Amino acid sequence: MSAPAEPVAAAPVAPRRAIWALLRSPSGAVGLAIVLLLVVVALLAPVIAPYDPYRMASGPRLAPPSWDHWMGTDQLGRDVFSRIVHGARLTLMIGTIAVGISLTAGLLLGLVAGYAGGWPERILMRLVDVVFSFTEIVIALACLAILGVGLINAMIAIGIASIPFYARITHSVVLVEKNKPYFEAAVAAGASHLRLIFLHLLPNVIPTLIVVGTLGVSTAVLAAAGLSFLGLGAQPPQPEWGFMLSSSRDLISGAPWMMIFPGLAIAITVLGFNLLGDGVREVLDPRQRAR
Amino acid sequence: MLRFIVQRLFAAAITIWIATIAVTLLIHLVPGDPVRIMYAGFQTTEAEIEAIRARLGLDQPVWRQYFMYLGRVLQGDLGHSIVGNQPVLDTLLQRFPATLALTVSALVIAVVVGGSLGFFAAYKRGTAWDFGAMTLAIVGVSMPHFWLGLLLLFLFSMTLGWLPVGGSGWRNLILPALTLGLATGAVIARLTRSAMIDIFDQDFVRTAHAKGLPKTLVLYRHALRSGLVPVVSMLGLQFAYLMGGAIVIENVFAWNGVGRLAIQAVFARDYPLIQGFILFFATVVALVSVVIDVTYALLDPRIRYGT
Repeated sequence: MSAPAEPVAAAPVAPRRAIWALLRSPSGAVGLAIVLLLVVVALLAPVIAPYDPYRMASGPRLAPPSWDHWMGTDQLGRDVFSRIVHGARLTLMIGTIAVGISLTAGLLLGLVAGYAGGWPERILMRLVDVVFSFTEIVIALACLAILGVGLINAMIAIGIASIPFYARITHSVVLVEKNKPYFEAAVAAGASHLRLIFLHLLPNVIPTLIVVGTLGVSTAVLAAAGLSFLGLGAQPPQPEWGFMLSSSRDLISGAPWMMIFPGLAIAITVLGFNLLGDGVREVLDPRQRAR
Repeated sequence: MLRFIVQRLFAAAITIWIATIAVTLLIHLVPGDPVRIMYAGFQTTEAEIEAIRARLGLDQPVWRQYFMYLGRVLQGDLGHSIVGNQPVLDTLLQRFPATLALTVSALVIAVVVGGSLGFFAAYKRGTAWDFGAMTLAIVGVSMPHFWLGLLLLFLFSMTLGWLPVGGSGWRNLILPALTLGLATGAVIARLTRSAMIDIFDQDFVRTAHAKGLPKTLVLYRHALRSGLVPVVSMLGLQFAYLMGGAIVIENVFAWNGVGRLAIQAVFARDYPLIQGFILFFATVVALVSVVIDVTYALLDPRIRYGT
């Protein structure tokens, strides 16, 4: 099994022009709008949420959506809308921490392997390929078996699980960059290893990783919601969307709103990051625009 | 061809071998005493704890434990689960047919639905049909699998009453297979579309059209065949993801496969069962990818000679 890590072949673009180009692409603009909305909701959660997300009996139990409770209430009488609004904070935190871990570690691994070449590269990348084939969920389960359940551990587990993916992509970009004239010139000019890696290779890997990282947030959010749904991530009473879905499972027929709204929140968030990632890719890789 | 198969089998063997190392190290990475954590819910005396430690070989140096574990694995012994004290391999094999039924039927649904959607979108490239199909696909990719499962459960079981909520008969397989299949189908639709667009632009397709061959013949004989090659090459990875996705979906529908077992094992900190599951999963995924790679090589001779 080889080659899912397709190099995105992104090129650096001036920031201001990039933002305009992003806004002109339909998927980029919609994606950016959704992500910005999510950030605003997360920042202003206490102002936006009409009730305390943890307070029981904010209203009657299992009340359907109404003027007082836009998304109804759950089995403990907590306001679903307020919980979803506060859940945006957890979701953003999950995305940032998980992608931060996998991006940093994967970037270093890929850079070092690609730069070193020879047998260190072969061994490192072979190992990365093997771990990659175990799939993220199984690696995450193994990490949780070691660390124990909980939302923070789930974020770490998801971060670790995606390291091979980022390492492969970084590695594939480094292989391309290493053969370009500017890099050979830098080698010929006698640049040091660190200088070659961090001043020459790194800046050229970053555009690709911005794309992959943006798409990666959606994967991380989905994975975290999945783990929380299984009860391995967020614990009660955290207003985490995946966990809210799992507590709705036995009440679907009587209180479908408990299942519909958190799922919608996850789907819209993931869609936002997917569209933003596609948009950024179009901006950074003009070849894609023709599609 | 034989050399290709041997190479692939060798790579699979290395994967499984690394999995045995990872699985042995796993228990040593646990912060604290793994035996005490495993038996936290049991009434045990100090002497019993030490006896269990000795039985699991955890009082030996790590390298020795590894060779003991490897020796037992080669004899088909994955140890006994903590909960229920059952042989791990038997438990996994007993649950595996359910997982296999789920993943294979989901793969069929994914390829049929996703493949036709992607082909259709590529054929109607740039039209409202294309936009509609791809919007559907990206919504499918963005939806959490388990949420799709809950929605289908709400619609078909609770509201319409057509299908049962959970259980183990074939009627119970429909919803989980549909959930997993549609979710994966969205990914396959995107892959197929971009593969087919590349093919439609190729000279041989244009030539076939130019020499006046009927449209359907060009589409199905020329274009679809070559377009399927990159899609088939991704199936190995998709199968691994399906197996991973099954872990969550089995829990939504109370489908008694290995995934449901794995989650229960993580909760119970049943390390022998967790170790066995990871090794089993890695083995199945590695072997299936060998089968898919060989199929792929049969479809596209360039692969055989290229490696």
